[in-house]
Amino acid sequence: MKATINGLEVGFEASDTILDVARRNGIHIPTLCELHDINHSPATCRVCLVEVHQVEGAEPSYLTACDTAMGEGWRIMTRTPVVREKRRVQMEMTLADHHQDCATCSRTGDCELLDAADSVGLQRVRFQRRPLATTALDIPENAAIIYDQTRCIRCLRCVTVCREIQTVDAFEVVGRGAKAGVRIRNADSAGESACVACGQCVMVCPTGALTERDQTQQVVDYLADPDIITVFQIAPAIRVGFGEEFGLPAGTNVEGQVVTALHRIGADMVLDTSFAADLVIMEEGNEVLQRLRKGEGPVMTSCCPGWVSFAEKNYPEILPHLSTSRSPQQCLGSLVKSYLPKKMGVRADKIRMVSIMPCTAKKEEAAREEFCHDGIKDVDVVLTIREFARLLRHEGVDLKALPATPFDSPHLAEYTGAGVIFGTSGGVMEAAIRTLYYAVNGKELGQIEVEAVRGSEHLRSASIDVGGDVGQVRVAICHSLKAARSLVESVKAGESEYDFIEVMACPGGCIHGGGHLRGKHRYFKQVEQRRDALYSADRQKQVRQSHHNVQVQKLYEEYLEHPLSHRSHELLHTHYRDRKHPACADIQAIWQELDAHRTTEEA
Amino acid sequence: MTKPLFGFWDGQKIDMRDSGEPDRQNAAPILTGLEEFDSANPIKAFIADRGFLVFDEQTDLAAAFHQYMSQAAQESCGKCTPCRVGTQQISDLLAKVHQTQNLRSELADIVAMAEHMAETSLCGLGQSSGRGLAAAIRHFPDAFSMDEAADGLQHSYTYVTAPCIEACPAKLDVPAYIDCLKDGKPDHALGVVLDKYPMAASCGRVCVRFCESACRRANADGAVGIKMLKRFVADQVSEGGREIILKKPQAQAAAGNKRVAIVGAGPAGVTCAYHLLLSGFKVDVFEAGQSAGGMALVGIPSYRLPKDVLKAETEDVIRSLGGMIYYGQKLGKDYSVEALVKQGYDAVFLGFGASRGTLLGVDNEAPGLSGYAAGVDFLLDVHNHVEHGKKMALQGEVVVVGGGNVAMDCVRSALRMGASKVHLIYRRTREDMPADHEEIDAAEHEGVEFHFLSNPSHLIIENDKAVGVELLQMRQTERDARGRVGVEAVPGSEHVLRCDLVIAAIGQQMDRDVLCAEDDITTDRWGCIQVDADTLQTSRDKVFAGGDCVLGPLTLIHAMDHGAKAATSIRDYLLKGRSQVSPEARMQKLLAKNRLLRSDKPTITPIRIDRARVPELDAMERVKNFEEVEQGISKNAAYREAERCLRCYRVYSMVTRYPLAADTSASPQSSQHAV
Repeated sequence: MKATINGLEVGFEASDTILDVARRNGIHIPTLCELHDINHSPATCRVCLVEVHQVEGAEPSYLTACDTAMGEGWRIMTRTPVVREKRRVQMEMTLADHHQDCATCSRTGDCELLDAADSVGLQRVRFQRRPLATTALDIPENAAIIYDQTRCIRCLRCVTVCREIQTVDAFEVVGRGAKAGVRIRNADSAGESACVACGQCVMVCPTGALTERDQTQQVVDYLADPDIITVFQIAPAIRVGFGEEFGLPAGTNVEGQVVTALHRIGADMVLDTSFAADLVIMEEGNEVLQRLRKGEGPVMTSCCPGWVSFAEKNYPEILPHLSTSRSPQQCLGSLVKSYLPKKMGVRADKIRMVSIMPCTAKKEEAAREEFCHDGIKDVDVVLTIREFARLLRHEGVDLKALPATPFDSPHLAEYTGAGVIFGTSGGVMEAAIRTLYYAVNGKELGQIEVEAVRGSEHLRSASIDVGGDVGQVRVAICHSLKAARSLVESVKAGESEYDFIEVMACPGGCIHGGGHLRGKHRYFKQVEQRRDALYSADRQKQVRQSHHNVQVQKLYEEYLEHPLSHRSHELLHTHYRDRKHPACADIQAIWQELDAHRTTEEA
Repeated sequence: MTKPLFGFWDGQKIDMRDSGEPDRQNAAPILTGLEEFDSANPIKAFIADRGFLVFDEQTDLAAAFHQYMSQAAQESCGKCTPCRVGTQQISDLLAKVHQTQNLRSELADIVAMAEHMAETSLCGLGQSSGRGLAAAIRHFPDAFSMDEAADGLQHSYTYVTAPCIEACPAKLDVPAYIDCLKDGKPDHALGVVLDKYPMAASCGRVCVRFCESACRRANADGAVGIKMLKRFVADQVSEGGREIILKKPQAQAAAGNKRVAIVGAGPAGVTCAYHLLLSGFKVDVFEAGQSAGGMALVGIPSYRLPKDVLKAETEDVIRSLGGMIYYGQKLGKDYSVEALVKQGYDAVFLGFGASRGTLLGVDNEAPGLSGYAAGVDFLLDVHNHVEHGKKMALQGEVVVVGGGNVAMDCVRSALRMGASKVHLIYRRTREDMPADHEEIDAAEHEGVEFHFLSNPSHLIIENDKAVGVELLQMRQTERDARGRVGVEAVPGSEHVLRCDLVIAAIGQQMDRDVLCAEDDITTDRWGCIQVDADTLQTSRDKVFAGGDCVLGPLTLIHAMDHGAKAATSIRDYLLKGRSQVSPEARMQKLLAKNRLLRSDKPTITPIRIDRARVPELDAMERVKNFEEVEQGISKNAAYREAERCLRCYRVYSMVTRYPLAADTSASPQSSQHAV
C-alpha cells in the first residue's frame, strides 16, 4: 500500500499507524505520551497531529499520527502552518493544567514535557492555569515512590509498565476531568496494595510526576553532624551506570570515582555491597546445598526486595522456598551495626548506614521492622542512583573530574568477581554455581564463566553438573515480574521442576533497576553496555569466587564462625510473611464514589 | 413553542427571528416529541452533539452552554488533553461572560478551544461537546452579549449518554463500567452494573446484547465485547477471593415501616426487591417454584448459566439484604393479589412471568400428549433432572420446532440428555432466526441438524404417542411493500420426519389462571397485564407489574429494567404519594423518538484490534454434560478488549423555564441546575 508524507512516497502495511510509517522513513513527528519501547500509545497527549488529505480537493483533517491507521493513497503533511499551530495549541492546553514550577521538580533539566514544548515551537501560553488540589492523592508516609498529580500529563505509561512488563497491576486511574490521575490501589486502606516498589513506573514517567521519596537532605544532615559516623555502601550496578549522568559513555566503570566522591562529600567510610554479595553466596550457597541434599527444592533467591514483596503479596504459599538469606544490602547493614562497632570501638547508635542503590524497593526493604533493633536500623537511608546524582550536584561534585581511589576499609569492602556480577540477571546464579561446585568437589569449576546462565531472555533455564553427590542441578533465571509470575505459575502447576531459581524484579536486573537513571522516550536503554561492564569487572578481578574473599574468610574466623552458624542466622537471615490481602469492597462506598462526580450543584 | 427560533443543526444555520409566525410554523420540525415534553414548562433551548436549537428569545445562551460544558467537564475522563483542559477552561470562561469587558476576545478564545476540542479529542465526549458551542459563537455571537435571562427563569437538565446506553433497556452505563475496568477498578466496574440490577454475572453470560448491536465499532472491527467484559468483572470479583459487601441498609423510618410484596422471584421480581431493600423497605418475595431465578433458572440450561452463579445473585442477594423469600407459593392457587392487599402490604409488584408454552397450532397436538412437549416444559424437566435428580428418560431422535434462543436451549439440552440425533425445524432461513448467532453456531458445532424453510403440518400419532411430524417445504416469497420477505408452503412437499420426541419451542404465553376477577387487574387480549408505560402501575391502586407478565416473553434485561423501574415507582408512591416520570426518562424518550444516537458512524476507522474470543469447551466433549460451555476471558484480554471502547458519550441539555422534575421539592441531588 502506498501513501505520501510531505511529498515522499511511502509504502506501508495495513496495521501501520501514520507514526510508524513516518518513523520508518526518518520523518520526525513530535510525540509526548507515546513510548515505543513498551508498545504504548495511549493517544492522550494529542500532540502528534498531522494534516491528512484523504480525498484530494476535500478539506484536510487533523489527526493524531500515533493512533490513526495509514490509509491507501493518503497525503500526509507534517509541517503545514495549520498543523504546527494546532500542535502549539495542544501544548498550550497541556501546560494550562501543568504545575510549571520546574525548579522544584525532580526532573528539572531532564523533562520530556519541556522537550515536547520545545519541539512544537511553543512561544506563549494563552490559557490560564487552574491550580490543582493534590489532596485526593494521599501518599503513605513510608512510600518509596511519590506521585504528584500536578505534574502528571496522564500518559499512563506507568499503568502500562506496571501491567504489561511487571504484571503487578498496582495502579488505578482515579478522578475525572481536571482531577484525573493515577493512584496505587488500596495504598491507604488496611489491605496492602499490590505495589512492590520496583520503580519501573518511575523509569517511564516523562515528567516529575512519579519519583522516589527524596532523602538526600537526611544524608546531608548526617554528613554535617560531627558526632555521626557515616558509612556508605554502593551496589554492584552503581559503578557501571552512574558515569552516564556525568556524560561518560554507558558502561564506564566509575567505581573509584564514586569512592572519591563519597569521601569528598564527607563520608567516613565507603563499603561495597559486592562484599556482602560474596557473603550471601556463602550463606545462600550452603543453604541451597543443604536443601538440595534433603530434596527440598526449589530454592529461590531472596536478594531482590521487589521480588520478595511480590512473592509475599501474590504467592505466600511459595515463601518456604525463598532462601532465608538476607539481601546483600541488609547483610552489610546488619554487620555495620554489630561487627563494625566492635572492630572500631564505637557505639552502634553513632553510625549511620547509607546505601546507594539502583533500586526503589530497597527503601522499603530497609524500612522493614525485622531490620530494626532497639530503634537502630540496619540501613538508615537508601538513596537511588538519581538521588545520589542530586546529592553530588548539591555538593558541587563533578564525578568526571575526580580521580579514582580504592576502597580503603580493612573490613567489609573487598569483593570478588562473583560479588560484582550480582548486578545483572544471571549473576547471582553464576556466583552461586562457582561456589557450589567448590563446596561439592573441593576444587574449582574448570570454566569459571558459566555461559549457560548468561543472556537476556526474561526466562532462562539450564542444567548444571556440579558433580559429587549432587550431580545435575536444574536452574532457572528470570527477570521482570511478568517472567517471575509465569515461572512461579508453571512451577506451581507442576509443569516445570527446578532446584534453584534466581529472580530479579526489574527487567535486566539491577542494571535497569527502578532507582537507576531515567531515559527520555526510551525504556531499557544501555542495559547491554552495563551488563558487559559488570562481566568485565569480574574478568579483571584476580579473585572470582566468593569463597576466596579474604575479608569474608576473616569475618567468619573472627565473628560468624561458619556459614549458617547461630550468629549468621541472627545477623544474615530473615523470615517472610504472608501479605496477600483479599480486598473487600463496600458497595455503598463504591456507589458514593461513582456518584461523586455527577452531583453538581451550580448556583 | 416547538419550532426553533434560531440555532444550528447538522451543519445548517437556522434563523427564523425575522420571519413571521407562519413561516416558523412551516419550517420543518427538527425534533419531534418536544411538544409533549412538558406542556406547562416551556422549552427555551436544546443543546446536543449535533448542534443547538433556541426556542425562546429570553434564553441566556452563555448560561445554558456554561451548564452544558460544566457537565461535560465533569464527565471528561481527564486523560486526553483537549477534553480535560478544554471543557474546564471553556466552562470557566463562560461563567465570566456576563462580567467580561472584552467579550469579543473572550469569545474568540472559547471558539478556538471548542473547535480544537472537537477536532482533536480522543473520544466521543470531547469530539461532540464542543461543536454546538463553536457554531453558536460563530453564527450568533450577539446572542452571548445579552444579559441573564430577563425573566430570571432558566433551568438546565443535562443528560449524558451513549448509543450503547440508550440501546440497553436498563440504560446501563456501559462506557462507565468499561472505563472502570480499564482504569484498574474492577470493583467499581461491578458497582456500575449493581447500581442497575443485582444479576451482573448472569447478565454477563446470557444477555442478548442490544448494546453490542448499537456499538459504533460494530461496523469496523466488530462491536466491543460488552457482555464478556461484564462477566469478567462480575467473575473477577467473586472468584478473586474478593468480596463485594451488600449490607442491609440502615433502617429508614419513612421506608422501614412499609411492606412490599413481590410476586415471582424471576429477574423482574428479584431486581425490584433488590432496589426496594436497598431503599430500606421491608420486602417479601413469593415464588411458585423452589428456587429463585424464574426463566433464567428453568429456561436457561446450566451449560449457559450455572445455577450457583444465578443463586448467588438472586436468592443470596435478597436474603443478605434482609428480604424474605417464600417458595412454593403460587399466585392464583395459594393466594391472590386481593389477599396480599388485604394482608396489609403497602404495595405489590407482580412479576410472575409468562411461562406457559405456546402450541404449534397443528393437527393432532394436545397438551399432555406422550412424545410431545412445549419447550419451556422440556427445559423445566431437564432442570429438575440435572439439579434435583428427578428421573427423565430421553432416547432416540428429537425434533425441536422454533428459531429462538429457547429452541437453541432445547436442541442443545436434548443432545446433553442423550438424544441420538437432534433436528431443528425452522420455517424461515438461518439468517432470519431470532436466536443469538453464537447459540446457532454452538448448536451446529455440537451436531444439531438444521432444517430451514421447513414447517410442521401435523403430528404423527401412533398408540397415543407422537412418533413423528409431517413437514412442508417452504419457499421465500417476493419482497412485500415493506421490503419483507415472506414464506409459503411448496404444494405437495409433505414428508415425514419420524422421531421419539417433538418439542414445540415457538414461544411462551401468559398463564391465565393466576389472576382472578376480584384481583381487579386489567389484562389485554393476550393476557398481558396492562400498565402505565412510564410508572408500571396497573389498573389497581398499590399494584405494579413488570417483566414478561407485562411484556410477553421477552429478555432478561427487559425484565430487570422493569423491576428497577417498578421499584422507583413504588418508592415514589410510598414516600411521596405518587409515581412520576423522571427527567431522565423524558430525555431517553426524546432521544429514542428522534433516533439522535443512531445515525453517526466514526469518521475515521479506528486501528484494527480484533475482538477478544471467548474460550469454549470442546464441542465433542461438552455435549456429554451440562458444564458451562463458555469460559471467562483472561485479565489481559479484558484490558485489551476494554481499550476498544470508543467512549461515544454525548451530552444533551434541555433548557426550560422551570425545573424539569415534576416534583421540584423532591430530590436535591438530581442534576438539576438552577441558573
